Amino acid sequence: MSRVTSLFRRAAIPVLSVVTGLLFGGIVIVLTDFDHLSQIGTDPVGAIGGAIGGVVDAYGAMLSGAFGDPTRILTALQTGDGADIAKAIRPITETLVAAMPLIFAGLAVAISFRAGMFNIGADGQLLLGALGATITAIVLADKVPAPVILVASIGAATVVGGAWGFLPGFLKARTGAHEVITTIMLTYVAKLLVFFALRSPYLRAAGSTSPISKDLTPIVDVPNIINLPGLRLDYGFVVALLMAVAVSWLLFKTTKGFELRAAGFSLSAARYAGMSAGGSMIVAMTLSGALAGMGGGLMVIGTVGQLSLDLSNGIGFNAIALALLAGLRPSGVVLAALLFGALTQGGKLMGVESGIPFDLLFFIMALVIMFVAAPGLIRGMWRIKSKPAAEIEATPASKATPA
Amino acid sequence: MTATAATAQISGGGLAARRALRAARVRGVAFAMLGLLAIYFASANFDVPAKFSLWIHEQGGDSAVLETKVGLLWIVAAIASAVVAGLQLLRGAGLRWRRWLLVLIAPWIVALLADLLAGKPAILTNVLAGSFEQATPIAMAAMAGILSERSGMFNIALEGKMLIGAFTASMTSSLVYIATGNVLLATLVGIAAAMAATGLTGLLLAWLGIRHKMNQIIAGTVINIGAVGITNFIFLRLLQHNTQYNAPPSVQPFKLPFLSDLPVLGPILFSAKPYVYVGYIMVIVLTYMIYRTRWGLRLRASGEKPAAAGTVGINVIAIRYRALILAGLISGLAGSYLSLAAGGSFQMEMTAGKGFIGLAAMIFGGWHPVGAFFASLVFGFADTTQSLLSILGVGVAPQLLASVPYVVTIVVVAGVVGRVRGPASAGLPYEQG
Repeated sequence: MSRVTSLFRRAAIPVLSVVTGLLFGGIVIVLTDFDHLSQIGTDPVGAIGGAIGGVVDAYGAMLSGAFGDPTRILTALQTGDGADIAKAIRPITETLVAAMPLIFAGLAVAISFRAGMFNIGADGQLLLGALGATITAIVLADKVPAPVILVASIGAATVVGGAWGFLPGFLKARTGAHEVITTIMLTYVAKLLVFFALRSPYLRAAGSTSPISKDLTPIVDVPNIINLPGLRLDYGFVVALLMAVAVSWLLFKTTKGFELRAAGFSLSAARYAGMSAGGSMIVAMTLSGALAGMGGGLMVIGTVGQLSLDLSNGIGFNAIALALLAGLRPSGVVLAALLFGALTQGGKLMGVESGIPFDLLFFIMALVIMFVAAPGLIRGMWRIKSKPAAEIEATPASKATPA
Repeated sequence: MTATAATAQISGGGLAARRALRAARVRGVAFAMLGLLAIYFASANFDVPAKFSLWIHEQGGDSAVLETKVGLLWIVAAIASAVVAGLQLLRGAGLRWRRWLLVLIAPWIVALLADLLAGKPAILTNVLAGSFEQATPIAMAAMAGILSERSGMFNIALEGKMLIGAFTASMTSSLVYIATGNVLLATLVGIAAAMAATGLTGLLLAWLGIRHKMNQIIAGTVINIGAVGITNFIFLRLLQHNTQYNAPPSVQPFKLPFLSDLPVLGPILFSAKPYVYVGYIMVIVLTYMIYRTRWGLRLRASGEKPAAAGTVGINVIAIRYRALILAGLISGLAGSYLSLAAGGSFQMEMTAGKGFIGLAAMIFGGWHPVGAFFASLVFGFADTTQSLLSILGVGVAPQLLASVPYVVTIVVVAGVVGRVRGPASAGLPYEQG
């Protein structure tokens, strides 16, 4: 019983943060609905009602975009027609597809924050990882069997992403360069590098004028979980779950993980205990980059099949929000990534159906981070009196002494 | 500050002294290798002519032409590198490296530019004046960063605040222009609105960091992500289809009387957009305020040792709030430059890292307004030459040229050329006792 209440209390702040974020997003939709608001002089009730109706439509579209229509799924399952089932369950599988890279990036951010490092550049690491996978796949095409290409390209993505994470970790440990600035700058550089690489006719799709790579699907693909036409959910998602288990094991069951977390709680204490604080920074950032890179590789090989500059599309920034939302716990990261995957997937349909730009989600995510990182705001707003016993575990990163 | 810190380091613990000495040796060797590289470049294409011209009075008027050989410029760069390398190796860590770095940067940049131009003539006046224009928003961001960090607060939200400033300025200015048709009024109201919006954002940042003790990096990230989200959202939802709300009258260059008549210097320094002059004034005023007034002393005390400052009755919390609001106002001005003066309208994510580059300029300039201004000039120069080279079609990929400012930022922040020290307590929450 007490376990249930403590779980409920622990979840209260994150859940309310998301709810409040969505509420504020709704207010923004209303305030920018000039078509309705311009009638406020003549027909105030209708104007406000219409604007609020717009919010309901938008969020309704988001919901059905993320989960599909339950009755349709049921009828499709009863008829047993493959094409119908695929169409009906496609929204849910697409939510999982969207969650896959978010799990990777969320784990990447969580592992770095645990060690007291702010990896703001998961976007760049993911993108460069994807570039590594793309180049490897195109180089190896027709030379070795497809499974070998698959392993090699995902491996390359992991290594390249890891290297891109190693750099800021190394710079911080050796020179004290603040990782926030270096990771952000490296993200810009990564984007330009990908742009530069995609100029090469060796990589660029034949006849294309924009920077898009060749189609990788004929060369290599990650096998799908459900073999129905139109479904993209593949075993990359399973790898993501396995990585969550691995990160959890690493952080909480190994000496290295203990050292990482110790460095996150107090660099000087870790040093006095004889641990190498600089080493922990480098290891944490390298692992962080490697995870993001692997996610990018699985994304470009498995889901998208083509490298372009907007592959990452802010995943690295959403990852910060979801890692904090998850209290930096790998299990929480998976849950939060599913939630954000639903928001992302639903947000796309919202954009198509009600014309509400997808970018609203970034604003909502920013609010979510704010509410999770300052729980006092949420408690004040929702009049939660008693301090929840297991309030979001003090995020180690918040205790790190910035250089 | 740095000199005393460095001396203390040397006379202090043996480990720190040895480490500083080793770092100085590494730097010395690095500079020596730069010298060798310059000699190699000199020998590679010695006889290529290097032509630079400067307008004397105004654009298109008489010009002074400097003509020399690329090889000679490289030899100057090599000599400068050798001198700096020698000084590092002989005098060690006690040397203040930053001044010498400037001595080194200038000949290197000139030689590199001449080499890349490969005989094509370049008008230096335009390059230099462009550098000042490009440097202005970066320098303003750096000033905002200095104010915040001197008071003891991290401010990585500059990027987001500039974006909000650019957006608000463009939209407000367009609306006022539609309503009144008055260019000056529209511009001024646009700037004021931008500063009000970012001042409030600064207040939010301070409130989150001070009242809620939210980690200041996370608070800044919240504002950066939120700014991208809200400006993109409104742009796509409203401005994209109603372009008249995103068409502010653009700020025109203004020639300062008398000063713009100065030969050579006039066209470079005093015929620019008014923002540039505001930047000059800001550097001077802030330097005076931070180092010569009671307010400045209190500001620095709050950033270095807030506990001590609090003990003698300084209201650290109030100082930090005020510093962050002021930093917000300045970053709003910087943002309005992007949409009103540089771009002509608001574009999504148009700051493109300028706020972060401003932070790098702040670090490069040792948290001093004058230093940060010159550091911003280096970034502005990199920006301008990059566009010059891509217009001239120099054989380097534009993407690689575009990444130069970001790489320079990393190099600067990493202190590859020596470590700098910021305010001791920046980023730490303060508990009023």
